[in-house]
Amino acid sequence: MKDKVIDKLVSIAGEDWVIQDLDKIEGYLYDETPEPASPKAVEEVVVVKPKDSEEISAVMELANEQGVPVIPRGAGTGLCGAAIPTEPAIILSLERLNDIKDLDEDNLMVTCEAGVPLESLFEAVDETDHLFFPPHPGDEGAQVGGLVVENAGGARAVKYGVMRNYVKGMEVVLPTGEEVQLGGKVLKNNTGYDLMHLLMGSEGTLGIITEVTLRLYPEAKETATLLVPFENRHDAMSAVPEVLKEGHVPLALEYVERKLIEESAEHLGKSWPAEEGEAFLILIITGKNEEEIFDKSETIVEVFTENGALEPLFAQRRKEQESILDIRSNIYTALEEETTDILDVTVPPAEVGNLMDEIEDLAEEYNTNIPVYGHAADGNVHPHIMNVNGEAPEYFEDLKDEIYETALDLGGVITGEHGIGETRIKNLPMALSEEERVLMGKIKEVFDPNGVLNPGKAV
Amino acid sequence: MPEPTYIVLIKQVPDMDEVEFDYEEGRVDRSSAPLEPNPFDLNALEEAVKYKEELGGEVLAISMGPKQAESTLKDAIARGADEGILLHGREFAGSDTWATSLALAHAIETAGSCDIIFAGEKTVDGDTGQVGPEVAEYLDIPHVAFVSDVTKRGEKEIQVESETWGATYLKSMNLPGLITVTKDVNEPRLPSFKDKQRARKAEITTWGIDDISIDPDNLGVTGSPTRVANMEVPPPEERESLILREDPGNSVNQLLEKLDLGREN
Repeated sequence: MKDKVIDKLVSIAGEDWVIQDLDKIEGYLYDETPEPASPKAVEEVVVVKPKDSEEISAVMELANEQGVPVIPRGAGTGLCGAAIPTEPAIILSLERLNDIKDLDEDNLMVTCEAGVPLESLFEAVDETDHLFFPPHPGDEGAQVGGLVVENAGGARAVKYGVMRNYVKGMEVVLPTGEEVQLGGKVLKNNTGYDLMHLLMGSEGTLGIITEVTLRLYPEAKETATLLVPFENRHDAMSAVPEVLKEGHVPLALEYVERKLIEESAEHLGKSWPAEEGEAFLILIITGKNEEEIFDKSETIVEVFTENGALEPLFAQRRKEQESILDIRSNIYTALEEETTDILDVTVPPAEVGNLMDEIEDLAEEYNTNIPVYGHAADGNVHPHIMNVNGEAPEYFEDLKDEIYETALDLGGVITGEHGIGETRIKNLPMALSEEERVLMGKIKEVFDPNGVLNPGKAV
Repeated sequence: MPEPTYIVLIKQVPDMDEVEFDYEEGRVDRSSAPLEPNPFDLNALEEAVKYKEELGGEVLAISMGPKQAESTLKDAIARGADEGILLHGREFAGSDTWATSLALAHAIETAGSCDIIFAGEKTVDGDTGQVGPEVAEYLDIPHVAFVSDVTKRGEKEIQVESETWGATYLKSMNLPGLITVTKDVNEPRLPSFKDKQRARKAEITTWGIDDISIDPDNLGVTGSPTRVANMEVPPPEERESLILREDPGNSVNQLLEKLDLGREN
């Protein structure tokens, strides 16, 4: 990195917030993409930690002037390599923008800076005692800005949707340094093109989000977790659309399998509570009182039982519910070491059973094991391609392509949560038409004429 | 030979992660958090149900508390108890461990013969660990506290591992007797939805002082020799950071001063 750039960064952010020592920047080079699928990070980077949008704006002006790429970075919990530097660059960490500015209980909205960790947001909202921020994409260390630019999903997207559904306003520093404010505390807005929605899911290529306003919901007074065992994958997945069709929308509807979930439980020093069954659905039921929870659960259990479920278990104590979810949330951590890549294909909800069957056929064809779990009601599942002898198998790309083709043939998409980033760029042509890709390229040019913001990612 | 009877002592407590403290009264504010079975009592119940599964018999859950403690007994039924009995009445309110144990001992005698009594090692809201052993003393039966494993389930004898004074003891006890269990003894099972539903409709027997033939003078505040005089919750410690760089030569002294460790000159 040129001395001139470093000097200028120091004058913008101050000496303490410009970091070049390799041992100190190591934590800023990678995200959570499994190692075999991850691009290799270049180490000729400088990490800058601006304190506000003004400093970010100055960094962007410098980047344009000097032609140096800037990679915005949250907590690095992404799974597509979008935050990994693949050429010498300025890594712009938003960690110091961590203020929750306004919790508006009248409008049910919270405004916070981009670097606020999800955990802090949950805590602040929880303190109101009656409000709730539904999404739970997984790692609570993830930062709000990252959640928005990745349009994160997760387990609790069934009832209220993915991140996109909560963002009502944002402040953005454009790649050329100008600051803009988009949207606001409004639930309807038809003023011009919706640039805000372009920014969501843009993976740090169109602008640096510095502040967001998110919609909150009233908190359900009671929750319970139903754990529904099935003999096999097919029965479990085929039962899901039947429940949804009846009009039951739980807060979450997750799918897990015995071998995986037991590994995850063991990883946490716990045990999986269900003795029978090989495939499981986990449903979070919400309601205003115990009566409602039991009524809802009763009808849901009935539909499941008609569709081949074994005896469902019922957790009502907070700790027992948390324990089940904790085990579910830790599957990825438990598998990570043996994983080549974690996919996030998504199909129309009613096709999810067919997707599972075809993945099972592919596993047989490639003579491998493809662990699958995920968000059954969203049609979004996570097949893992596993290492062979500690390395990516030779057939890795072929198998990945075939899983993607399968999802596309069923009317689905190649990524429903993790995004394109770096690791899926080569798969874009199978997922998007040339016309779409050209449009996206032109949009990028309009926002970032010098191509300095996260170049080489997404489009 | 009659079927064996196992009694589980179970208390309804507030979820301690969410509860608030009533500083003026010097007690936990039970209304500030959801109520649930004392976690250790669920281990006790699980152990009783295991005994029943191995040797047959009946599991009877007994609780003392307000009317709403019925829900905890219903939960116990969903998790494998056959029947729930609630000791309830204004005379019981305010009892310390001495009076509570006496009331529970009377209830156990009223219930008839009993082979093993199971209790949690302590309750999370009282934290004394006294009630289980005191009940056994009133009943004049043997007891083992802090049981972390049941190694042999017999009709006349139980063999257990007990964690006391930093060591593990292997102990045998003739029955009838009482054990209090730690959370290591087992992992309480999750009830099925069907059992939870069934248990919601279960009838809970309520006993007052007349049912268990106890003198009200031995209960409540009058019957309790101990008092909570005062309760103090230490304030959380705040973390502070300090960067010293203006005067590196003197920064050690500055640090000592900040930590209040500096020597007076």
